[in-house]
Amino acid sequence: MSDSPKSEPSTRRTFLRNGARIAAMTGLGALGGVLANRTQAQEWVWQIDPQKCVRCGNCATNCVLEQSAVKCVHAYAMCGYCNLCTGYFEPEPNALTTAAENQLCPTAAIKRTFVEDPYYEYTIDEKLCIGCAKCVEGCNRFGNGSLFLQIRHDRCVHCNECAIARTCPGDAFRRVPAKQPYLLKTTHAH
Amino acid sequence: MKREFELASRREFFGQTAGIMAVLGTIAAQRAQGAEQKATNPFAYDVSRLQKTDPKLIAYEETACWKAPHSEAKRIAAGPDDSLYVCSGNYLTAVSRSGERGLEFAASEATRCCAVAKDGTIYLGLRDHIEVFDGKGARKAAWESAGKKAWLTGIAATENDVYAADAGNRVILGYDKSGKLIRRMGEKDKERNIPGFIIPSPFFDVEIAPDGLLRVNNPGRHRMELYTPDGDFEGSWGVTSMGITGFCGCCNPINFALLPDGKYITCEKGLPRVKVYNATGEFESVVAGVETFSENARACGPSDCTAGGLDAAVDSQGRIYILDIVTGDVRVMKRNV
Repeated sequence: MSDSPKSEPSTRRTFLRNGARIAAMTGLGALGGVLANRTQAQEWVWQIDPQKCVRCGNCATNCVLEQSAVKCVHAYAMCGYCNLCTGYFEPEPNALTTAAENQLCPTAAIKRTFVEDPYYEYTIDEKLCIGCAKCVEGCNRFGNGSLFLQIRHDRCVHCNECAIARTCPGDAFRRVPAKQPYLLKTTHAH
Repeated sequence: MKREFELASRREFFGQTAGIMAVLGTIAAQRAQGAEQKATNPFAYDVSRLQKTDPKLIAYEETACWKAPHSEAKRIAAGPDDSLYVCSGNYLTAVSRSGERGLEFAASEATRCCAVAKDGTIYLGLRDHIEVFDGKGARKAAWESAGKKAWLTGIAATENDVYAADAGNRVILGYDKSGKLIRRMGEKDKERNIPGFIIPSPFFDVEIAPDGLLRVNNPGRHRMELYTPDGDFEGSWGVTSMGITGFCGCCNPINFALLPDGKYITCEKGLPRVKVYNATGEFESVVAGVETFSENARACGPSDCTAGGLDAAVDSQGRIYILDIVTGDVRVMKRNV
């Protein structure tokens, strides 16, 4: 028969040191939890499904930002590089030139560049684009649909209740994983 | 102090009710107006004016309308005896002017285009090759494939030659009557001043005019082009415009036919319309405007712009037969006196 070992009474210094250590560990754990929670909340972001977008114009007017975070983007692989680009020109332009009166975009955000006869390249200046989808409608109506809208995440403030999504008549807004934040058009449907 | 409840007179009751109704009506009207204003898109892309045709420009009237013999109708052609031949599904069907079926036979795959020579020989275009049938529908030959990328969409035949429009390879293929490939025409060639065909969607057509020159549509350039039987580029006409006198969209005109006097009947998609141009390419009149083909206009979108489209054939009397690829309707159009 042996005597069970008795714990030795800790000194005040030891008690305080252990207490501080436990408090520090608890604090670190709580901080980690908070950070983990926050990271999880940012794993989903808003995006527009281009197949559902009805080009209503709400993206230009309903975003909480002064200039909408929604921008027109261009799927170059789908583009026909048309001379008469119906996303660039007014329905009945005076001439197929870059003169302001011929352009469809209200802010002249599309740049037209000659490639070779009879092809032209169209690029979007996102600083000027207001996301009104006028060009998107023109391209979808008579072209290949290579112009479409996307929320640009370098501008979007990630509102929990997106003001545009709330009024989107096409129900085109949905949350997507932050790791894959864009819903791009990649192939032509022909 | 207790106040006594007084009954309102009938006059007061009606007066008060009318007042309340007026106030509620005004509020409802203001709300409706507000909702309407909110629903209006300030950035709307408005092409409604292009979807209406000036009646003064319409020179034809519809005299009959019948259905294509089968679903998935693609092309219509006129034969030497003024009977019509319709490619629909896997079938080629001969149809009278009033829509009564005659000769019909099925191919091994979808029929895409056809031409009937003066001797009654039928040249039927399948995806990558031509098959030859006699006037009774017996197959006489199946020519060699034009290649993996081949996508035949138009055929024209003379007594000695057959020309096929290959949208996949963007070339006109010239064959002799035995099916031997004689020449490839229209491929981009700077030395011969040939601009090359731009075919964004599979609509490419060829016809032989009474002057012996080939007429070919170049839809990506919004124009018609003329070639000699040897493949020399002779000229072109066509204006890029959404207006009634021009061609617009990614690719127009998609198909065409020639009137006996050499005028062109052009077919367009997107804004589906059929127009007449004179032999030098000047706009003359409208056969049928966008309002005639409303379902076709809706079907042709970016998800599948091959879903829409029209084709036309012309008989020796100058009557025009318009095939609506979406509805399968064939409209018989006669020139107004």
